[in-house]
Amino acid sequence: MSKVVEISPTTRHEGHSKLVLKVNDEGIVERGDWLSITPVRGVEKLAIGKTMEQVPKIASRVCGICPIAHTLAATEAMEASIRCYIPEDAMLLRYILQCANRLHSIALHDILVLPDMYLPGTDTKINPFTPEEPVRSVALRIQRLREIGQTIGEIVGGEAIHPSNPRVGGMYKNISPRAKQKIYDLAKEGRMLAHAQEEFMVSVFRNYQKRDWAEVAGRQIPIPKDLGYHNQGYMAAAPIYGSSSLDDNPTWFPERWTEVRPWDWYMGEEEITLEDKDYPVGGTTPAGGKAWPQMQACTGVPLYDGQPVEVGPRARLVTFKNYDEKGAMGLNIAREMEYEGTCYGILEAVDALNTSGKVLADEIPGGDGSLGWAANEAPRGCDVHLAKVKDGKVRWFSMLVPTTWNFPTCSRALTGAPWELAEVIVRAYDPCVSCATHMLVVDENKKIVAQKLLE
Amino acid sequence: MVLGNYKTCVAARSTDKEILKGAQDGGIVTQLFAYALEEGIIDGAIVAGPSDEPWKPEPMVATTKAELLAARGTKYNLSPNISLLKEATRSYGLDKVGIVGTPCQMQAVRKAQLYPVGMRDVPDKIALAIGIFCMENFPYQSIEAIVEDHCNQKLESVVKMDIGKGKFWAYTERGAVSQIPLKVTHKYEQPGCHVCLDYVSNLADVSTGSVGTPDGWSTVFVRTKNGEDIWNKAITAGCFETKDITTVKPGLELVTKLATDKITKNQKTLDARASFGVGKGLRNPYL
Repeated sequence: MSKVVEISPTTRHEGHSKLVLKVNDEGIVERGDWLSITPVRGVEKLAIGKTMEQVPKIASRVCGICPIAHTLAATEAMEASIRCYIPEDAMLLRYILQCANRLHSIALHDILVLPDMYLPGTDTKINPFTPEEPVRSVALRIQRLREIGQTIGEIVGGEAIHPSNPRVGGMYKNISPRAKQKIYDLAKEGRMLAHAQEEFMVSVFRNYQKRDWAEVAGRQIPIPKDLGYHNQGYMAAAPIYGSSSLDDNPTWFPERWTEVRPWDWYMGEEEITLEDKDYPVGGTTPAGGKAWPQMQACTGVPLYDGQPVEVGPRARLVTFKNYDEKGAMGLNIAREMEYEGTCYGILEAVDALNTSGKVLADEIPGGDGSLGWAANEAPRGCDVHLAKVKDGKVRWFSMLVPTTWNFPTCSRALTGAPWELAEVIVRAYDPCVSCATHMLVVDENKKIVAQKLLE
Repeated sequence: MVLGNYKTCVAARSTDKEILKGAQDGGIVTQLFAYALEEGIIDGAIVAGPSDEPWKPEPMVATTKAELLAARGTKYNLSPNISLLKEATRSYGLDKVGIVGTPCQMQAVRKAQLYPVGMRDVPDKIALAIGIFCMENFPYQSIEAIVEDHCNQKLESVVKMDIGKGKFWAYTERGAVSQIPLKVTHKYEQPGCHVCLDYVSNLADVSTGSVGTPDGWSTVFVRTKNGEDIWNKAITAGCFETKDITTVKPGLELVTKLATDKITKNQKTLDARASFGVGKGLRNPYL
């Protein structure tokens, strides 16, 4: 007889989400639904009628962790719609921004994921805030990596969060030779730190893979060897930057994308029959209550070739670098493997940058309303923005953000895991829920069938 | 207290002939920034540089002495230097920023440091803030009217403007000197200046102006610990020639008088505004 347990809210990630899990007598998840309960932002509707310059700025406000990805994806979606090609130096600046964003985002994820992990060789869970070594120097390193990423983002983007410098047609300003040197110095320092941090984190994740149990709520929970495995596909547009409909060979295909309503995807109304008062933090939802995922989920369910897919670091490594490790730890390790690449990316781009080069296209057309899309490989995965711009005004705008893709995929990855470890799987996706919250459901003919499903 | 808090006050002028040549008075700002740049105390300074139009300043980030020299001299109209403050720490890549400005701009700098709303990562990067004495400022159109209509000189031909001895002076490149009484210029002042209660940049690290010292010299107030460190190093390095302020004429007496005049006059505007409208007095921003 299966029972239903609800973990609401889930913790140590961005945004508000919850887990509704149907578990068997041994506490193993038979069906898991992980859903966003963040209120709908409405950015796509706000965008309509605004100028194409405004919309990327508004879109970036959807969240404060990867605003760079949203700014770049939205800006490039506008450029794709109006068919505007930007100068090479502007592209290089954007590339630096992209890498800087990923650098500080991975560092943040380290802090969020470490408390689930054990110090190798001990049964002590890691508290990233402890003053004791070796954790203290790791925490300081994480802080410095975040500082480096954000400072580089600040120099190139104008702001560390919500960059002001990118604009439709390129960038507002190029940087000074001194700023270029500063970025170079920071990236060199970051590369060494990222390397050390990557080694530490991978050893911690490998240690978790080898462990037989993890302590949750005062109990020793067995860790299955296939924790977080799923058989869904992967979707990635590029190893680092992205793709857009302006490319000669685009690597994302809008015709392969469909979306279904949460009503048709998630579980119906369920009574909560299992509770655990000791589950951190503050226990699970008390038994007797109701959970209704199909009504409560605040996201659509995007499908690629009719299936949910995984996006993110592992999707990039699988697609472009023959990575093959599955499971929650495989995903965590894939993320760490991207660490150093961000600094190398910055170094290469800043080397190629001409600080006297122009960064704004000579001509910025107003657009004729044709569809343009840009897929940006945000830290959490492929962030696709689609836009139709006519006479400088946005007629239609849609954001298909990474965690929206990962919600249904991760839900499937929960099956077979002890319910107490469900959050470990969720955190491996580094979820960023706010921006994932949209309600725009289209049927096979791309007709909008449900705008909003809220009671 | 009309002169604010200060550690020392001296009469000074630069020892660098090149700086003095185009300087308004003692070349204090240019010299101090040049010294700080050379010593790595600052990476660059936000100054009122030249623009496309004559005598219209445009804020610029000077990172070399040549750029500082290009910005020498007082331009009696608005230069929104604070607008570059954040950008200096961004695309210019500066870690230690020098900034010069009027008393209100010094207030803005300190406010940005205290409440860095929209000024993320800026407060700790301000390495030297030099304030200048200011009675009031003019919009560019006012300077056009004063110089071209009242002084009858083309702005392009003017090489120096000055305010002193109760008059506004314009010197042309061919040696002509025009002067008009200051009271003629009053109506061209920026109305916003009439609520300001600071004459001598109380919040700067170092503040300076011509009032109180003979021609070619400047009065310098060293106000903060940071300002004192830099000033003392510059003196040791021989950047400035100084005199005791008590030995020069007209001395601090005149500075005090003008500061008191400004505060008294502007306090009246503030009082008037406090009772302006029907039961809707404006709040005094200084209280």
